Amino acid sequence: MLVEPELIEKARKGDSGAFNGVVTAYRKRILGTISRLIGRPEDVEDVGQEVFVRLYYSLEQLRTPEVFEPWLYRLTVNACYDYLRRLKRRGESRMSDLSEQQVLMADSAAGSKRQDEESEKGRVREFVDALFQHVSEEDRLLLTLKEVEGLSLKELEQIYGVNENALKVRLFRARQRVLKAYNTASAEGKL
Amino acid sequence: MTEADRQLDELFERYRAACPEVEPSANFMPAIWSRIERRGSFPLVFERLTRIFVAGAAAACLLLTALTALPARRSAPAAVPATYADALYADSSAERTYYTEAVRSTDNLVPEDYRH
Repeated sequence: MLVEPELIEKARKGDSGAFNGVVTAYRKRILGTISRLIGRPEDVEDVGQEVFVRLYYSLEQLRTPEVFEPWLYRLTVNACYDYLRRLKRRGESRMSDLSEQQVLMADSAAGSKRQDEESEKGRVREFVDALFQHVSEEDRLLLTLKEVEGLSLKELEQIYGVNENALKVRLFRARQRVLKAYNTASAEGKL
Repeated sequence: MTEADRQLDELFERYRAACPEVEPSANFMPAIWSRIERRGSFPLVFERLTRIFVAGAAAACLLLTALTALPARRSAPAAVPATYADALYADSSAERTYYTEAVRSTDNLVPEDYRH
């Protein structure tokens, strides 16, 4: 945990200073997760604020500070999922602004080495995002939390409130689909 | 674990490193608090509107009660009976009065032997 359980307990009881402390401790990690889940850098902060507002209003329902992190992750996943649904309704693509951002990053890069690194990173991002298109939005979020964020099955079980075995099966199937797409891309020489 | 599996794990690691770190802006915290206040003020506005509506409904209820009670009081002393039963009762009581008056007026015409 990034904060002491006492701070969470204080925030739960309505201490706004403690709540500020909790947000300050977790905001960078949560923004990073949101960035990987929604893939649109320009909306990351907006979704992040939504997560912490939801946290503020649901904190009093938290039974014990020990389950705070899975609770926060659950709010994060739900906020990302809501955002992606809204995006889908508006008919916009999840990755629409990524290339623009890559260009901006490449422009701002000082040296050619940095430029190379940035373009390599952009290539990796685009490739993995293309692989993720072979699974559903729900499975992509689950797979990202497990494989990219590095959450354990136990943590995922707490976040989703689903049996560990059911999660294992779902993760295995999603990974198999991504692996199949990866093998196809390798065979076609797209790596 | 196959070679492809291992390569995929490696790719996920590179992907994590390739995703840009997002630094929160200076406005991050104030924006959260203004959202909290905005969302918190909505139920208050709703509560206030509900109270106004309930008070208005109670006033309208009282006014309607008063309006229905007033004509009833006005019609009470009117000469015309309100119902058929009342009219019947008024009619029969008038007959009884005439009958009693007639008995009284003819009382002295009855011979003394027949009087009680």
